[in-house]
Amino acid sequence: MDLADVQGLIVKGYAMPVVRHVGLRVDDGPAARRFLGALVDPAAGVPQLTTAAPWEVKPEVCTNVGLTAAGLHALGVADTSLDSFPAEFREGAVTRAATVGDVGPSAPDSWLPWLRDGVHILVSLSGQHQQAVEDATAELAALWQQGYTECGRADGCALPDYLAHFGYRDGFSQPTIDGLPPAGLPDSLPRPPVGAFLLGHPSQHPGFTYPVPAPPDLGHNGSFAAFRVLAQDVDSFAELLTTQADRTGLSEEMLAAKLCGRWRNGTPLVLSPTTDGPDPPVAPEAMNDFDYVGAHADERGLRCPVGSHVRRMFPRGSRIAGGGGHLHRIVRRGMTYGPPYDPTRPRDGHERGLLGMFIGVSIRDQFEFLMRDWVNDGRFAPGLGRSKDPLLGAQEDGQGRFTIPATAGDVVLDGFSRFVTTRGGAYCFLPSTTALRHLAALSAPAQQPA
Amino acid sequence: MEHPTPVDQPVQNPLTLVMTAKSPESYEALRQIVAHVQSLPPDQNPIVVALDKIATVHFARFVFLGDQRLAVITTYDGDFDAYINEFINEIGDVFNSLLQHMQDASPLPVQTYREEFLQFVRDHDLRCEPPFYSAYPDRTVLDITATAASVG
Repeated sequence: MDLADVQGLIVKGYAMPVVRHVGLRVDDGPAARRFLGALVDPAAGVPQLTTAAPWEVKPEVCTNVGLTAAGLHALGVADTSLDSFPAEFREGAVTRAATVGDVGPSAPDSWLPWLRDGVHILVSLSGQHQQAVEDATAELAALWQQGYTECGRADGCALPDYLAHFGYRDGFSQPTIDGLPPAGLPDSLPRPPVGAFLLGHPSQHPGFTYPVPAPPDLGHNGSFAAFRVLAQDVDSFAELLTTQADRTGLSEEMLAAKLCGRWRNGTPLVLSPTTDGPDPPVAPEAMNDFDYVGAHADERGLRCPVGSHVRRMFPRGSRIAGGGGHLHRIVRRGMTYGPPYDPTRPRDGHERGLLGMFIGVSIRDQFEFLMRDWVNDGRFAPGLGRSKDPLLGAQEDGQGRFTIPATAGDVVLDGFSRFVTTRGGAYCFLPSTTALRHLAALSAPAQQPA
Repeated sequence: MEHPTPVDQPVQNPLTLVMTAKSPESYEALRQIVAHVQSLPPDQNPIVVALDKIATVHFARFVFLGDQRLAVITTYDGDFDAYINEFINEIGDVFNSLLQHMQDASPLPVQTYREEFLQFVRDHDLRCEPPFYSAYPDRTVLDITATAASVG
């Protein structure tokens, strides 16, 4: 495993508080390809692609790049090569929107124009502070301007304590990839193999390696990401907690915990069902080290509701359709955008939400599967009917329904609407270092976008 | 008794997979394979173990149709494609043992050639003349077995 060949964000979180994603469209094929080559050429004098090679010193800024199918075409990749990429990637996020629940207010015709109209390249910068990101942007732009037009950008930065807008501490659950250093908290859960996140290696399905796009120099050690801009309606979420606390007698914090599957401080419900401050506290290394079977068996969801967000996103050993609770893991790289929510100043008119990269070797079997089968439906698990993920799901207005199992009688929350609206997305291929050199060396004439 | 709210389509779907053996000898070999598997006690029966874990198959049966044809007929929940990987992971070896005797079989092992196996199933699945009737159109295997467990 040549870690220097692999983009860093696939295998590690950078833990930097500032992020910027820039969407570019190809104007001039040769110059566009030169830019990609410059990212992996220290002599070129621009910030270099951040790889998975271990750091001696943590850099000020990290640089990564994603290419859409339209982008590969515009860069001059041959049709025979493009045809070897997965179908859902070639179709792209706009075409696949309905599959993942991007309908109604989340449909592409309501997206930010730069994402609705499609990007070719997504340059992603993470920085330890804003100035580092500004400096890197300026240096890279001086070169990308020769081959691309910028069509839009999305900036994010961490809230105090890295909280998410709904008030939760996030980031506890990342897969530990077999054979690589742990990227998140260590746990004793089954480890997905490298091939669940990198093309060209045995996958999480025994005997199966996902087809490597051709030619191998282009496809090998690459991955795929669904880039998403997700707006969060914090006012409505806060109202849900207040209204339902009054109605049910459960505290707002308990309701927030039941909806998510973790208390807002991150303590898993399965480990501590009645308090977010158990004595002794859950150790940091135990925060992701649990299952819904075995020591903390919770088949009915009395501790952690079966339909809660974290249990839907990662059912672990729960009894579900297919029995594959460990087979659809994704790597999540997310950052909040927009100003912090102030409950004393609600409805401030500012958009806020999450910028996310959801990474896996197969968009279809990981990101799309999660959205279609585990977020926007409930039939994968017992007793959920067609209900959707309460935090993330595409509930039609007033159609939200969430059950909190309880021995004294289930508590049902209903009548709520979606809290997250998709503002745009893009399906990106995350090429290896080798692939970027391969693209830089292509001598095809620039093609017009199809 | 209330009638259930009509739904567009039941959650259950029919699989009517009809495969043709390569030769009379292959057909006889299939009879032996199926007879052997069907004779195993449940906890040692790879089909039972797999289907219990997959938890989407309501019913499954083998039927020898004559003319060298073997049918696998099931009722299962949801989308076949969506769970094809889990299906192959759990029950792939059973299909390897059957497909080695079939005409136009997809390349083996199915665990390695998954898209090809999925296409084979699509090509040989007769499904049904729609609509597919269900007495409980919204009840999945998971719903039914959870209820059964809770009433003891």
